[in-house]
Amino acid sequence: MKRYETIFIAHPELSEADQTELEGKFRSLMASLKGDILNLEDWGTKKLAYQVRKNTRGRYFLLDYLAGPDLVRELERTLRLNDRVLKFQTVKVSLQVSPEVAKTLKEAAPRERVTRVNERSLSLEEPARKENAAAAGEEEK
Amino acid sequence: MKPPGKRKRPFQRRKVCVFCADSGMKIDYKDVKTLNHFITERGKILPRRISGTCAKHQRDLTTAIKRARNIALMPFSIGPL
Repeated sequence: MKRYETIFIAHPELSEADQTELEGKFRSLMASLKGDILNLEDWGTKKLAYQVRKNTRGRYFLLDYLAGPDLVRELERTLRLNDRVLKFQTVKVSLQVSPEVAKTLKEAAPRERVTRVNERSLSLEEPARKENAAAAGEEEK
Repeated sequence: MKPPGKRKRPFQRRKVCVFCADSGMKIDYKDVKTLNHFITERGKILPRRISGTCAKHQRDLTTAIKRARNIALMPFSIGPL
C-alpha cells in the first residue's frame, strides 16, 4: 500500500449536494478497492494563479489516502468524468506503507468527515518558521 | 586601486542553502508562501547561483514549483511587464 494525496480544484460554486456526492463516491471507491482515507481537507475557494476552464477562482480539496495503483486510476477517472471538477493532481507521498504504519496513520487521522482549512492555518509556515529559528523546528505536517 | 571594469557584485551571494541551514523547513508544493521566494517577478524559477540553494534542494524545489504550477497554486508566467 502506498500513500497518495490528490489535490483537486472544484467549481467555485460547488453546491453542498455536489460535494457530498463526490465525497460519497470517494468513500465507496475506498471501500470497494481497499483504500483508506486519512484526511479530506477543504481549503475553501481560492484565487487561481491562471484561468482554468474560464474560471478565475476554484474550490480546493486535498484528499490524503492509502491505496494501491488500481484505486488511484479509478479515482482519477471519476474526477475526470465529473464536470464540477476543474483540475486534479495526484502525488505519491510515500512509496511503501507497512501495515503497522498504516494503522497508526489511521488512528491519527482526524475524526471529522471533512477538515476545513482556513486561510490562517494554511499559512502556518510563518509562525512555524519563527519557531524553527528559535529551536530546531517541530513542525510535523 | 580597483582595476576598471571589475566592479563589485551588487549582491552578496548567500553561502549556504536555506533548506540545509534550517532543517525544519520542508519543501512542499502546497506551501506557496515559501516557494514564492524562489521565483522571479516574472514567475520563473530562480537559478541556484542567485538563490544559493544546494543541488539537492534545488531539484526538490523545482519539482515542487512545477507541481504547484500544475494545480494553479502558482503561475507559469507573470506578465507582461
